[in-house]
Amino acid sequence: MNDADLSFSKADHFFTRSIHKKKAQILALCHVTVSEILSITAGHVQKMARSIGLARLTLCCVGMFSAVSHAADIPLYPTGPSADSSFVRFINGTDAALELTAAGSKAKVQLDAKTPTTVFYPVRAKSDIKGQFTQAQSKSDISTSVKAGEFVSVIALADGSKLKHLSLGEEPDDFNALKVSLAFYNVSAKCANAALQVVGRDVMLFEKLGVNALTRRMINPVKISVQLLCGEQATGAPLELGELIAGERYSVFAVPAASTTRIFIVSDAVAR
Amino acid sequence: MAAGTLAGIAMLVLGESHLSLPGYLMNPLYEDLTTQGATVHAIGACGATASDWLKTVEVPCGADRFKGDTVFKGRAATTSPIKELIAKDKPNLVVIILGDTMASYDNETFPRAWAWQGITGLTKEIAATQTPCVWVGPAWGTPGGKYFKNDKRVEFMAGFLEKNVAPCVFIDSLKFSKPGQWATVDGQHFNQAGYQAWSANITKALAALPVVQGLKK
Repeated sequence: MNDADLSFSKADHFFTRSIHKKKAQILALCHVTVSEILSITAGHVQKMARSIGLARLTLCCVGMFSAVSHAADIPLYPTGPSADSSFVRFINGTDAALELTAAGSKAKVQLDAKTPTTVFYPVRAKSDIKGQFTQAQSKSDISTSVKAGEFVSVIALADGSKLKHLSLGEEPDDFNALKVSLAFYNVSAKCANAALQVVGRDVMLFEKLGVNALTRRMINPVKISVQLLCGEQATGAPLELGELIAGERYSVFAVPAASTTRIFIVSDAVAR
Repeated sequence: MAAGTLAGIAMLVLGESHLSLPGYLMNPLYEDLTTQGATVHAIGACGATASDWLKTVEVPCGADRFKGDTVFKGRAATTSPIKELIAKDKPNLVVIILGDTMASYDNETFPRAWAWQGITGLTKEIAATQTPCVWVGPAWGTPGGKYFKNDKRVEFMAGFLEKNVAPCVFIDSLKFSKPGQWATVDGQHFNQAGYQAWSANITKALAALPVVQGLKK
């Protein structure tokens, strides 16, 4: 079993215990579970890094204190991880509630209109992430991997009466504690050239986004509402984005609805 | 510098190797800060990254100084969870001196996601206690050495920290000297004169910050 499988299994264990609890508690408790995952991942990386450091230490034969320098010499330590962090989250892009299951487990987490997403779980880069979305009698087997430094969203979508999913990844380089980072995911085949316009202002937050694509930008921490445009036509009701906090990251998803496309916003929270 | 520019301020100062061994930054900084009236608890942990201060992590060396002489530790050194340190000391200012341990000097690709996760994890923990904080970034080293420190990456690291440490206030140590001006023993760790200069500049910069001036009694 690789680290990613182990991590997901630990999450499953939690899901088993918490499945009867309120949905609102799920994310908060997932936080605890994923913190366990985080400590495993971080510990693994740290262990590897320290092993490298110790090897170098042996090679360099560096003592704790140098006899020739007036400043004491220091044991060698790594100045970073062997690979960047990687994350995966799961989104319900359908109109009805569904359940997420990790491979090899019967434990489930429910994703619905109130809680359409999990947090971003830390995973080991390039490992296989396996699980399953289930909705009524429909199932969609998940199998994806995440590159170092990548944040992957696995999005469940309706496929007629069946269920399918799509994985979209991003490697952000816009980390900034003074700005809001807002992404726009368009996974609605009914919405070509998707755009988000600020309600009441002639300002486009995003324009001409193709289907099954995403884009991201930084904005100031202001309270705004947005209108989805598909092919320059206003589609659906405006969405109030709420109080966006500087330093936090968010995503607006455009997903297919019964006869149109709808949008919703989620926090890009990372399990800590 | 006028005496008492930091009068009445109780500081918790956390850092990496620079604060961890005799002849390094620990003693000059502790003495400069206390001379200016601050009460200081300074802890160094070799190789510790930001996320290491969210839990207890064993490190290859470290030091601790609080109302007395410095206790230098070998392999018995650990980090401590920041929340526990703040709850115990009740400082009115936290100072983080950290950057070299997260710069990945020997890696062509900077681990942005990892660094962002670690930095924001620590700043959020501090912010949750409503304790003001200051983050002191890395200083120029001398290119090469066993840590592969280089000017380009240290400049990038300082810029990354500047963008991501809020609500902590950032102090850019690169402004204190020119590249290579402070001699090092290994490319990354300075000689005594370098540490004394870094200490004096940190103390002066701290005293000039509005957030620190607002804490003076």
